[in-house]
Amino acid sequence: MIAMSEKTKPEQALIAPVSDQVEQVPDWLGGRLRRMFSDVMDEPVPDEFKALLKQLEDKERGS
Amino acid sequence: MSEDRFLDQVTALLPALRAFGRSLCGDPARADDLVQDTVLKAWTNREQFQSGSNLKAWLFTILRNCYYSELRHRKFEVEDPDGVCASQVAVSPDHDAKLHLRDLNRALQELPVDQREALILVCATGLSYEEAADVCQVAVGTIKSRIARARDRLIDLLGEDAARVAGPAAFGDADSKELSQRSGTS
Repeated sequence: MIAMSEKTKPEQALIAPVSDQVEQVPDWLGGRLRRMFSDVMDEPVPDEFKALLKQLEDKERGS
Repeated sequence: MSEDRFLDQVTALLPALRAFGRSLCGDPARADDLVQDTVLKAWTNREQFQSGSNLKAWLFTILRNCYYSELRHRKFEVEDPDGVCASQVAVSPDHDAKLHLRDLNRALQELPVDQREALILVCATGLSYEEAADVCQVAVGTIKSRIARARDRLIDLLGEDAARVAGPAAFGDADSKELSQRSGTS
């Protein structure tokens, strides 16, 4: 398995950078793909996820 | 990595995971189920994650595995696991930006899953070719050829309409302002 080539900090992970993918895909298509993706990322995370994370945190602290 | 730190980082990546899941399966509710499974599996196997490596790519790998696992199960339940019939819905030309995004999602679901995931990982999530190859466990060249096929198919599906509305450079760094300004124009 190839080693992961980049470290990603959480705050960086939220932003999809424009990289060399533009060379392979026309700008209009790449832009629409990123827009589609960022539209979902901009949505508030449903409460069910917060509950799940809280449950895992509590589980860890309780063990 | 401490447990809290791990969970903090997973929490920060939830939006990206939800977006990746939705791009893969095209269904918001199903995507969120995939993300929940992913979070649980990641937490259960958190000892296997090497601190300092790319958590986003690791989580994408888990989500992808969950998706493929689900696809295999669905094959026993439905005759159309890859959405072949569902994808026969015509893509109607419309110049509203939101509708274009829905068309893109619909067109994405017509792609073979290996092409779809390669395109999304590199063009939408911001992973490098190498990271995408890692997630899909194939060579970088395979990712590139899958993206090329996905691109050609999408251009074919979305047609000249999309390119004409967008213009040659219009979607280069599309943001909501650009799109909202463009919506309503033809």
